[in-house]
Amino acid sequence: MTVREAQATSAAATVMHRRRRIPASDWIVRIASIAVVLGAWQLAGPMLNPLILRPPSAIFASFFELIGTGELQEALWQSLREFVLGLAIALVLGILIGILSGRSRLFYNATDPLIGALYSVPSVALVPLIAVLFRSFDDPPRITAVALFAIFPILINTQQGVRNVDRDLLEVARAFNSSERRLWTDVIVPSATPFVLAGVRLAIGRALIGMIIAEFFIGLVGLGYLIIKYENVFRIDAMFVPVILVSALGVLMMGFVQWIEGRVAPWLRREH
Amino acid sequence: MTERIVVERATKRYGEMTVFQTLDLSVREGETVCILGPSGCGKTTLLRSMHGLIPLDDGRIVIDGAAVTSPRRNVAMVFQHFGLMPWKRVSENIAYGITLAGLPSAVCAERVRKYTEMVGLTGFERSYPYQLSGGMQQRVGLARALAMEPDVLLMDEPFGALDAQTREILQDELLHIHTLVPHTMVFITHSIEEAIALGDRVVVMSSRPARVREILAVGIPRPRTVASVIAHPRFIELRDRCWRLLREKAA
Repeated sequence: MTVREAQATSAAATVMHRRRRIPASDWIVRIASIAVVLGAWQLAGPMLNPLILRPPSAIFASFFELIGTGELQEALWQSLREFVLGLAIALVLGILIGILSGRSRLFYNATDPLIGALYSVPSVALVPLIAVLFRSFDDPPRITAVALFAIFPILINTQQGVRNVDRDLLEVARAFNSSERRLWTDVIVPSATPFVLAGVRLAIGRALIGMIIAEFFIGLVGLGYLIIKYENVFRIDAMFVPVILVSALGVLMMGFVQWIEGRVAPWLRREH
Repeated sequence: MTERIVVERATKRYGEMTVFQTLDLSVREGETVCILGPSGCGKTTLLRSMHGLIPLDDGRIVIDGAAVTSPRRNVAMVFQHFGLMPWKRVSENIAYGITLAGLPSAVCAERVRKYTEMVGLTGFERSYPYQLSGGMQQRVGLARALAMEPDVLLMDEPFGALDAQTREILQDELLHIHTLVPHTMVFITHSIEEAIALGDRVVVMSSRPARVREILAVGIPRPRTVASVIAHPRFIELRDRCWRLLREKAA
C-alpha cells in the first residue's frame, strides 16, 4: 500500500514536471496570432489610412535606418539608464517600506493613508513638478519619475506578502522555538518572495511608462524624444520603432522576472 | 509509574466564552493518551497550552516538574495542517526543528537520514511538499517531530485531513514507530476508532466548556495494528462506551 502510494506520487510529480513547460502547440498559436495581426496590418493598414497605419515593412526599414544613424542606440542607452536606476530605487525603497509596514503596526498605520493617497494621484501629474523640485532637466528628475511610477506595485505587494504569511507556519516556527532571524529566513522572506516578484512584474510596465513620460516632460531625451521627434514630422513608421522597442523591453523584462520566479519559487510552478 | 505531564485546574477563556475550566489530567511516562471529543470542544487549545503556545487563564500545566510557559526542547508537535514549508525540500523540512535547536550539521544529517527512513520517505528527500500526497506530507511532519528525539509527542489531529485508507496506514505506522521509540504521546482526535487503536487510555471530553467526562483504559495488548485492535473483543465495548459518552448532552 505504501509503495503503491509512493509510486503514484512520483508519477504525479513527473506529470507536474512535464506540464511546467509551455507545450509546442501553445507556441504555434502564439506565433500564429502575431503573424496574423502583422499580416492584416501590412495588407489592410495602408488601405485604411496610408499616413497613420504605416505597414510593418516600413517600420522594419525605419528600424535599420535609425540604427544606421546611431540615433536609436544612443536613445536606448539614455532610456535604459533611467529605467534601470529608477527601478532599482523603487525596488530598494518599495521592499524596505513594504517590509516595515507589513511587520510593524505602527509603521503601517503611519504610512498607509499616505501611500494610498499618493498611489491614487495620477503619477503623470507629478512629473513636471519633479523637474521643478530638482531645478534640473537632467537624469536625476527622470530617474525619480521612473521610481515614482514603479514603487507602488512593489511596495504594496511586499506589504501584502509580509502580512499574508501563513499563520499555520508562524505557529510551526513558534512550536519549534525559531529565533526571529530564522523566522525571517525560513518563513517570512520565502513566503513574501512571489508577491514581491509579482509586484516587480507590474512595476516594469509602469516604470517604462514613467520613463517615456519623463522624457516627454523633462528635457526631451531618449526614446521618448525619438517618439515626439518623428511624430511631429509625421514619420509614423520611424515613430513606431521606439514604441515597439519599449513594448519589447517590457515583454522581455517581465519574462525575465517570471523566469526568476520559477527559479526561486519552484513550488509555485504547479499553478501554471 | 511517573507522571510526565500534569494538567492542574487548567482554565482557558476567550472573552465570555469558556473553552475549558478547572481541567485536571495527567499523562504517564511512555503512555499514549488520546483525547477524544466533539469538534470545537477545545481539545486542540488544550494541546497548544501543553506546548506553551496558548497561555492559560488559570491553573497550570507541568511537564517534568516545571510549569510550561513556552515550547520545550524535549516536546515536539505534529499538526493537522502539516505545517510544512512549501519552499523547503523534504529533507530540509525534516531538518527544520533540529537545525533550529542548533545541533551540529553531522548530527542533523544523520537524524534526517534515520527518520526519513523510519517514516518511509527514503528516495523523496529532494522532493517538494507539493509533489507529495497528503499522507506523505504528514510523514514529513512526523519525521520533523521525531528528528527532535523528543520525550513527548503532541499530536494535533495529525491524520484528520487524510482519507480513510491513508489514515489507517499511518495509524499502523505510528503504532510501529511507537515500538521502536516509545514516546509519551498526547493524541488529539475526534475519531473513536483512532483513539482506541492508538491509545493506552482514552480521555473523552464533553463539548464546550470542555470537561473530562471519563477516562477509559483501553487494555488491548501491544504490539497492535489497527486490524488487531478492531478484531479484539474489547473494541466494540469501548467503542459503544465512547459513543454513548459523546452523545450524552453535557449536564
